[in-house]
Amino acid sequence: MTAISPLEFVHKKGIFGDHHKKNENELLQISEVKNLIIIQVVQYKKSKTSINDVKIDGLEFSEKSSHVTSNKQTRILWSAPRTWLVLSNKENIFDTIKSNLNERDFAITDISHSRAVIQIKGMQAKEVLKKGSPINFSEFNVNRCSGTIFHGITIVIDLISNDPDTFNILTLRSFGESFYHHITDSALEFGYVGV
Amino acid sequence: MLEIKCPYCGKRSQNEFSYGGDANIKRPELGKEVSDREWDDFVYFRKNPRGMHLELWHHVAGCRQWFKVSRDTSTHEIFKTSKINEEL
Repeated sequence: MTAISPLEFVHKKGIFGDHHKKNENELLQISEVKNLIIIQVVQYKKSKTSINDVKIDGLEFSEKSSHVTSNKQTRILWSAPRTWLVLSNKENIFDTIKSNLNERDFAITDISHSRAVIQIKGMQAKEVLKKGSPINFSEFNVNRCSGTIFHGITIVIDLISNDPDTFNILTLRSFGESFYHHITDSALEFGYVGV
Repeated sequence: MLEIKCPYCGKRSQNEFSYGGDANIKRPELGKEVSDREWDDFVYFRKNPRGMHLELWHHVAGCRQWFKVSRDTSTHEIFKTSKINEEL
């Protein structure tokens, strides 16, 4: 892993926006998710192996659209047909995947360096995302993910909890700074804490 | 703004998609002798009908899959969508 995270010099800690006379614990929290291992797994078109037999960290690769399987440390996101994103805090997850999946059937790529990941947490998180994304968030439940856009920037949204709403949002590293400013600008109306 | 049903992700807003042209165009057979006129037809000439039209769309901000859409070019009504290898 690189020592410099994508938002190292961009993300600011503190309280911003309309936070006056509001309980700080109820404000939105915006943070950068660092040191997350992100692996893209693609099953080749000619592969006849069944992915249902494979488990990584005890988790299945779901073939259901926009579905996520997860435990405390690892999340497997359906990204497209025969394509998944494995997000994990486990340092050896890449080797685990490599040893469980045959290279003749799967392309396994470590894309940890190429993504910026922002976490937005709080009761108003969906309201912030609604400002720039066309997704119907009233039907967006826990363990659902979606590739979409936010103010024209391609992102992947992963809802990890709804108590309160907590989203991990992935975007290309080079769009990270621009995306961060869009998110924080949208959150000013509600007031937010940069964590 | 159109609402397009991606065969993989479900209904999504048009700004997640990119238009990919006429779905009726077929590339001339590989290895076949092709006249300049046939190449012109394949590369440049399109019908541009008013009414029902078969189109290719790409879910560029979502699952990144190509699929077919039958759409009315005058009312923008979308009748049906299908995977690229399926008949509409």
